Amino acid sequence: MGLLLFAMSDPIEKSNQPAAHALGNPVTKVLGSLKFALTVILLLALACIAGTLIPQGAQVEPYLARPGGHPVLGMLSALGLTRVFYSWWFVGLLFALASSLMVCTGRRYHAIKRAKGAARIRVIGSFITHVSLLLVLAGGVVRVIWGQKGMIQFREGEIVESAESPDGPMALPFSLRLSKFELEFHKNPEESKDATGDRLQVQWAEKNWVTHFSTELNVEHPVTPPDAAAGSRPSFVVKVLRHVSDFAIDGTTGEVMSRSDEPNNPAVQISVVAGGVTNRQWVFARFPDFGSHDVLDAAAMPLKFRFQAAESAGRGRQGSIKAFKSTIEVVENGAVVSTRVIAVNSPFSWKGFSFYQTSYNPDDLAWSALQVVRDPGVPIVYAGFILMMAGLTLVFCVGPWLGEQRRTTGGIP
Amino acid sequence: MTSILNMTVLFNVSLAVYFCAMVASVIGLMSRRRFFDVAANGLIVVGVSIQTIYLGMRWVEAGRAPFSNMFESLVLFGWTVSVVYLLLRIRAKLPWLAAASAALSALALAHASTFESEIRPLMPALQSNWLSFHVMTCFLGYGAFAISSLAAVGFLIASRERSTAQGETRQTLETIVAQTISFGFLFLTLGILTGAVWANSAWGTYWSWDPKETWSLITWFIYAGFLHFNFVRGWRGRRAAWISIIGFVSVLFTYYGVNFLLAGLHSYAKS
Repeated sequence: MGLLLFAMSDPIEKSNQPAAHALGNPVTKVLGSLKFALTVILLLALACIAGTLIPQGAQVEPYLARPGGHPVLGMLSALGLTRVFYSWWFVGLLFALASSLMVCTGRRYHAIKRAKGAARIRVIGSFITHVSLLLVLAGGVVRVIWGQKGMIQFREGEIVESAESPDGPMALPFSLRLSKFELEFHKNPEESKDATGDRLQVQWAEKNWVTHFSTELNVEHPVTPPDAAAGSRPSFVVKVLRHVSDFAIDGTTGEVMSRSDEPNNPAVQISVVAGGVTNRQWVFARFPDFGSHDVLDAAAMPLKFRFQAAESAGRGRQGSIKAFKSTIEVVENGAVVSTRVIAVNSPFSWKGFSFYQTSYNPDDLAWSALQVVRDPGVPIVYAGFILMMAGLTLVFCVGPWLGEQRRTTGGIP
Repeated sequence: MTSILNMTVLFNVSLAVYFCAMVASVIGLMSRRRFFDVAANGLIVVGVSIQTIYLGMRWVEAGRAPFSNMFESLVLFGWTVSVVYLLLRIRAKLPWLAAASAALSALALAHASTFESEIRPLMPALQSNWLSFHVMTCFLGYGAFAISSLAAVGFLIASRERSTAQGETRQTLETIVAQTISFGFLFLTLGILTGAVWANSAWGTYWSWDPKETWSLITWFIYAGFLHFNFVRGWRGRRAAWISIIGFVSVLFTYYGVNFLLAGLHSYAKS
């Protein structure tokens, strides 16, 4: 803590920056200028603000999929403002930042030789900090080029050899078997289970008919209007395929995922079979007007669905969820080579692939969802993190401390 | 039960002590009597001590770091503001800042009292040793930025044409703006990095453009810009003061606004 006080001790002085004219090349002159760097940082900050205030990706897709779309969101989408962080111009800004950082890093390297005393420590720290930012960006590039991300959804006893990803099946060099799934509650689990009263309301407006179904997965609910003849075949068969408590679409894989186990955006995916045609759609508890159909036009579907999520009642304080864990077995050449328990904050890695517990289904406690990630960029990013803290410590703590030491002893400041 | 009652008493006493420190400091500023200045600083030390005991007791009672919801984070924010002020006070006399930081700590505690203070079990994603380190480092940064913005406001007031403030006061405030931003930037960076490592452990991605992450990056950009202007161009004075204030507005949105206006991975923080 004593050393940290020096972050507050020495008035920041104009450091030994090399003059811009030290760089002859006009391109590097521009890239190395403070004006260019701060303009890029300002544009990135504005883009980030837009990316948080304008609905992004999955949030706007149901509106855009409507007949006629949505005029404002359609315009924002055309401008690339509904996928800000994955747009070409945002990547371009990051590239501009990296270019500026590279030139500035080179300038700082040369400045180290000229600086003296405590100022030299600060310039070294600044150099290390800029290198660390480049490493973090490089780690991100490695992730985009060589990284893989997918999802595994299985039930107890099932074995999988690949994960689902937008690019097709993501093959694993081994198999995984879910041997057990456990859902733990803080207190009184029975009370919590009873309170999880999620319901799917089905309304057939033309027939003035409304009913409710449970959201238990893969249970077929025949829908037959009250005026149908006895024994006639059901007009529709409704089935809940999936439940997520915090709906989101992974920006990288395009897969639907649950961002957390909190009921921030509960949704169910249902299938409706009619006349041999299967129509699947997502129904949102908080956005009843949303609903994307993959086969039928929304207007052609006489049934209207509403998802009534128990939400907080199902996750009351007495029975809030403590943990959800999957016990998995790694199978190679037909033999179990490892058995691990995966929980949130406790991932499992095997042969370069990491597995994260992401979701569960309160109505089907034998079902589990794991995220699979292979990211060779992580060690580079972490090296960047370590260097960043080392660099900033030199700039803000060690440099000022040395400066003060030398001032009190009459040496070179 | 006794422990919870004791904690409630400690919470109320610390709020009252900060309020008294603010009053003493204001009287000291108006009367120019040294006694009130000493009393205000003494009361802030007492307030921080009581709050430290409160946080320790809550930590023991909950069996985890008490930094998981709006009530707990506001208590922590009030504590870090006063801790950062006291760290500065070791090196310089800052009577105006004593009143402002005591007022901000009291305000944070008063606002915390409008949220539920009940100790609740943690959701699975928060059950990690990273929780205490990540939140503590972020809030030490927030506390430093709060003091910086208070000093910036003081500087702008002292720089008005009709102000009677001496040049020395303006220079001290100007220096504090830069120093606290350096301190805060170090801790904000550490907070963002520990958050990234934690996110990678919990969700398999160190960065997912969640609103809280994105706004912390925006805040980081603003202060990085300030430090570059300060280091390279030697920006001080009114321009530096305004950047400090804009930076703290961004901190407030990152900490407070995002919780209530933008849903994301940190949505639990609004309860």
